[in-house]
Amino acid sequence: MTKDLRECRIEDLPGPKSKQELDEMKMPYEEYCKAAFAPGHEMGKPESLKGIRWMSTTMYIFTPHSVANLAELGAEVIKVEMPRMGDPMKHTSPFNEAYLYPLHDTRPVTGTGYGFMNANPNEYYISMDYHLPEMKEAFYRLVKMSDGLTECYRPGTFDRWKQSYRYVQELNPRFIYVWGGGFGYGPKCFGGSYDILGQAHAGLASVTGMHESMGGHCTKHSNWCIDWYSGTQITFGILAAMHWRAKTGLGTMIEFSQVQAATRCLGHTVPMYGRFGIVRQRWGNWDTQLCVHGIILCGKSDFPDSINPQDKFDARYAMVSAFQDADFKALCGIIKKPDLYSSYKKHKERVGAEAQVDIYAQLEDWAKDKSRSEVVRILQNEGLLCEPVMNDREVYENEHYRQRGTVRWMEDPLFGDVLVQGTYSAGMLSKTPRRLYWIWRPVGADNVKIYHEMLGYPISKVQEWYDKAWI
Amino acid sequence: MCDIIWCKKDVEGKPCDTVNYLDPYCFWNWKGTINCANCGTVYAIHMIQGHMYKGPDEQPAGTKPDTSPLYADKPLEGYINFPSGMEGRTRPFQCLPRHIYLGVPDMVKFSIRGRPLRGWRPQPKSAGIAGQFPFNWEMKKLSPEVWAEYQEKIAKGEVKDW
Amino acid sequence: MIEAKGLTPRQFLDKVLEPEKESDHICWQCEFLKPVIKGSSFPPADIIGWCMKIHWPYYWCVADFNVVKKCYVFKQKG
Ligand code: SF4
Ligand SMILES: [Zn+2]
Ligand SMILES: [Zn+2]
Repeated sequence: MTKDLRECRIEDLPGPKSKQELDEMKMPYEEYCKAAFAPGHEMGKPESLKGIRWMSTTMYIFTPHSVANLAELGAEVIKVEMPRMGDPMKHTSPFNEAYLYPLHDTRPVTGTGYGFMNANPNEYYISMDYHLPEMKEAFYRLVKMSDGLTECYRPGTFDRWKQSYRYVQELNPRFIYVWGGGFGYGPKCFGGSYDILGQAHAGLASVTGMHESMGGHCTKHSNWCIDWYSGTQITFGILAAMHWRAKTGLGTMIEFSQVQAATRCLGHTVPMYGRFGIVRQRWGNWDTQLCVHGIILCGKSDFPDSINPQDKFDARYAMVSAFQDADFKALCGIIKKPDLYSSYKKHKERVGAEAQVDIYAQLEDWAKDKSRSEVVRILQNEGLLCEPVMNDREVYENEHYRQRGTVRWMEDPLFGDVLVQGTYSAGMLSKTPRRLYWIWRPVGADNVKIYHEMLGYPISKVQEWYDKAWI
Repeated sequence: MCDIIWCKKDVEGKPCDTVNYLDPYCFWNWKGTINCANCGTVYAIHMIQGHMYKGPDEQPAGTKPDTSPLYADKPLEGYINFPSGMEGRTRPFQCLPRHIYLGVPDMVKFSIRGRPLRGWRPQPKSAGIAGQFPFNWEMKKLSPEVWAEYQEKIAKGEVKDW
Repeated sequence: MIEAKGLTPRQFLDKVLEPEKESDHICWQCEFLKPVIKGSSFPPADIIGWCMKIHWPYYWCVADFNVVKKCYVFKQKG
């Protein structure tokens, strides 16, 4: 008992007692990762952005996604939508048919389309016609209680409505204000923004697809990848602005032009033009810097009897990578074309455009009497990198994704069972993982919670605004 | 740039008058034979950079065409047309929307793993003041018939994890 | 419509791709030049077209002020 409590012996502490013991007790890395990331057990962990409150006066995917990233990391996000209408994206569904109902109590036969998925999860949904002078006070009160806002109106619109950064920073100097749109200020400041505009105007679409000499045309990615990508770029800006604010106490304005976003991922395109006047062209499913490193067409489908054309016709592509000399030699051995190896022994010889045309043609010639899975199996057995080009159904059934929680089922509290691929745009975080509480909520679902419970307006006032369709 | 073959072949005393569209994806730089979607007359064409270099020249009856137009119509007869994928007339288009894509909302009550979702309309009212919605779908109270069906599914083992 | 009578495919293509400019470039006689077409306003004003050979599959902008007189991959167009 006389023992000084400040003293303790290592033997009395839990855990390993020596370096050797520590090493013995360490789990295998695989097990460690499973325990550290534990997909499906995110809810018990803290949220890194808890305490941040963000306003989202956004539409479609691009600007909403900048805020969705915050919401999945724990920020409290208030999505402000047009009364009775909501974000136009809610009315956008693939082939106009996949909806979850209802949109709003006054519109029982209108739903929210799956196109809205992942763009606004975990948010509180209020409605407000904020350009009305009568609603300015409520808007400003929200500004005073929030850390920032993302908006997507045409340049100068919020300024005209007296709610741009120039106005709101007077109410809240710590406010971080994001404008996201098409061109930004400059000679082309007019016009809205769309993913396809971003892909086209930044030069991305011109280098996507098959080469002109193969009959190709400029191609846009089927999905709105530049919307998702540029939204995430904004999130970076917001996190940096929050760090700056932690140091200085001051907010920032972020002006984000979507047509500028995709220039970032074009790599060598611009400097190469600057150096030689070369215009980068499309190169289809092959690669301009590495060879072999592309997608080939195999002769037989893996699912010849399926009624789904994606399975029946398209389950024939495989990606193959063997650009190192030794790998290329092995590949030529497998396909029994030793001449191919002797013609292109060095990577420099292989990577030339004419050489690639020759090499891939011979690879496809070898694959023409094989199915995709045969090709994959043969090359993988020889230690080469080769994977099937999978469709959505195969991604769903893929065990790797299931174990990591990439694609998972969730029972949305309001809308029921949905398969989601959300919460992955920041990788897995061991301490503060992203998570999905709900996919979205109906228009104005949280009006009472925000206007009454948070801002303190009496219920009668809220009801009055609602009856006038101001909210 | 997209060219056409306006077929004027005499069919039972009347000109065929069918416009066969030469879609640029297939015909931009192309040489070969192609059939009329209506009367089957085969034409030889040679297109360069989207422009007709030679043809269309009618081929003797019985010539096997290399390909078919993707789409054709008869503009003088209103809405008569030949959409893609008509055997022997037009070319199949592999990415034809599947039969389930009808362009109208598809009402479902259960996901593919057999659990309920609000994919049908109209939905019963559940909002309170000012569009307010609760956080929970009280299925048993709001849609008792779906809830009952769900219980049956559970009993029959039709509700799965994946 | 472009009159094709009596033209070889190459001559026909030359008519389709009627160039905007004239200059002393040897490229005009070369199989691999893709000229800036007459009336097109988008490409930079100072090029006659794109060479589709030297950096293929990329296109090299052939400037109109740097007149190419000699070229190691020149190929007479047919
Ligand atoms: S290959 Fe030479 S001559 Fe031909 S277009 Fe190119 S630069 Fe001009
Ligand atoms: Zn209004
Ligand atoms: Zn006809």
